[in-house]
Amino acid sequence: MELRNYVIKRLLICIPTFLISSVIIFSLMHIAPGDPIEIMFRGTRPTNPQIIELIREKLGLDKPIYEQYFIWISNFLRGDLGYSYVNNQPVIEQINARLWLTIELVLLSQVLSLLIGIVLGVIAAVKKNSWVDNFLSLSSLFGYSMPSFWMAILFILIFAVKLNWFPVCGSQTLGLEFDFWGALVDHLWHLTLPLLVLSLGSAAWYFRLVRSAMLDVLEMDYIKTARAKGLMERIVIYKHALRNAILPVVTSFGASLGFVLGGAVVVESIFAWPGLGEFAYKSTLARDYPSIIGINMMIVLCVLIANLITDVVIALIDPRIRY
Amino acid sequence: MQIVQDLETVEEKKVGMLHATWRRFKKNKASIAGAVITLIIVGMAVFAPLIAPYNPEKLNYGKELQPPSWNFLLGTDPGGRDILSFVIWGARTSLIVAVGAILIEVAIGVLIGGVAGYYGGVVDEVLMRFTDIIMTLPTILLLLTAVSMFKVRSIVLIMLIMGVLGWPWMARIVRSEFLSLKESLFVEAARSLGIRNLRIIFRHILPNAISPIIVVATLDAPFYIMYEATLSFLGLGDPTAISWGNLVAKGKNVLTSAWWVATFPGLMIFITTIGLNLLGDGLRDAFDVRARI
Repeated sequence: MELRNYVIKRLLICIPTFLISSVIIFSLMHIAPGDPIEIMFRGTRPTNPQIIELIREKLGLDKPIYEQYFIWISNFLRGDLGYSYVNNQPVIEQINARLWLTIELVLLSQVLSLLIGIVLGVIAAVKKNSWVDNFLSLSSLFGYSMPSFWMAILFILIFAVKLNWFPVCGSQTLGLEFDFWGALVDHLWHLTLPLLVLSLGSAAWYFRLVRSAMLDVLEMDYIKTARAKGLMERIVIYKHALRNAILPVVTSFGASLGFVLGGAVVVESIFAWPGLGEFAYKSTLARDYPSIIGINMMIVLCVLIANLITDVVIALIDPRIRY
Repeated sequence: MQIVQDLETVEEKKVGMLHATWRRFKKNKASIAGAVITLIIVGMAVFAPLIAPYNPEKLNYGKELQPPSWNFLLGTDPGGRDILSFVIWGARTSLIVAVGAILIEVAIGVLIGGVAGYYGGVVDEVLMRFTDIIMTLPTILLLLTAVSMFKVRSIVLIMLIMGVLGWPWMARIVRSEFLSLKESLFVEAARSLGIRNLRIIFRHILPNAISPIIVVATLDAPFYIMYEATLSFLGLGDPTAISWGNLVAKGKNVLTSAWWVATFPGLMIFITTIGLNLLGDGLRDAFDVRARI
């Protein structure tokens, strides 16, 4: 019952967050210098002022700004994100076609990096200041200091070009017919390099969090008590210590998702992974505002949902949170 | 007389604290390594015109894509430009962008965090909720969006946008510092003397919250350097700037035939972020603000 109230409270907080984010994104679109009509026609605007007036009216640009916002946000909530300037297709359809590839990439990379980060973080904390710890900590420093685009290029050079183990780009081999399993293997084969690049940076970061949280927790009295009781060391570490040490990791999981999605933009554009990030990059280059705004809103929505889920997970792990 | 003596002991205490901080910092080899790397990069940025063997933007016809040699220690790019010189000058762009963004971050973060922490209550609630919202925004995507909206993409624009999006963590740290500091005796004393709130915030509390601010700023610097390089790499940075990211992008097209073009500027970004991360970690431990950051 208490948990339900907590979830409802978090859900309600999402609403103003979403609205304010949408206002920020909407105003970004409007503080940009330049006439939307000008941008729409790429400099070759129609000379007839009557036509321009007509387009302006059709787009609702003649209305006051707050009214434009309300029209825009209510359209958004009904799934109408406008039409791309590039090919006149509905933006929502293009997002739909690409969203799942990004979710697949990001979700898998987060699962992978959390696993690596937690396991190695615990090992490093338990063997504090040993060579294992030093080696892992140094690797972690390298991992989160390396720019992801550079890592991607090095991986392409080594694993795709020189060793020819993995394809350079795309999400599937084009022009070949596969059965279901063949297609899946082919897809995973394409997924490997972008997934690795996206995961290694996050894993290094989670490692750092887990290690320092574990070191703090292992100093606490209740751990000493557990050990004094004669509990097995494995149980002390994995059951008693990790449960508390994992909290900051879960908390930062929600907050860092925006960061990871940003990383996905870079990784997807380098590997030509046809997800939302690559779409964002292409739209940016083409100054395709309706698409850019739609992607931004979609990603904010994803981050909010992910944050909500993390909040619930935290409440499940740590009963103290439900106030 | 008594007052003068008290002041002297306060001075001594201050010096003692700095001394202790320095001792703690010195003890850690990793921190020293970070400081040395950072100093070298700063030196490169400041003395670029003196150190660089060539003009980084000069095209040398007939010398395109030369591998590293005694003439060109790190080789040349597709335009025959000397990569070593480019990389040295690139430090300047990276550091300017990072420092600019950090100044903006500190200004906004201190103002919002300080006001929230000092006044508390509804003000705190509203400001922190706003901070949370900014924190969930995907920075790179918004950077792309904002940059795409402007016809002229300059270094100043990029650092402005990064600073405007990058302050939430700073605000949180400053707030938590203010929350604890506002309960201390000297703040009560200042209040009882009738000193204005804003003066208390900036003249009395802020100087005492300076060490976490320095640590957060140092730890944020590598992010800004990475963002700027990423934007330049994607072809959305300042097209006229001598940026490491630009050169990596150029190198990407000749990756198989001339590995050195993309490798060396990338290595510079890598080394710079390592240096700043080590320095930031070292400062955090030395200032003993670990528990709060």
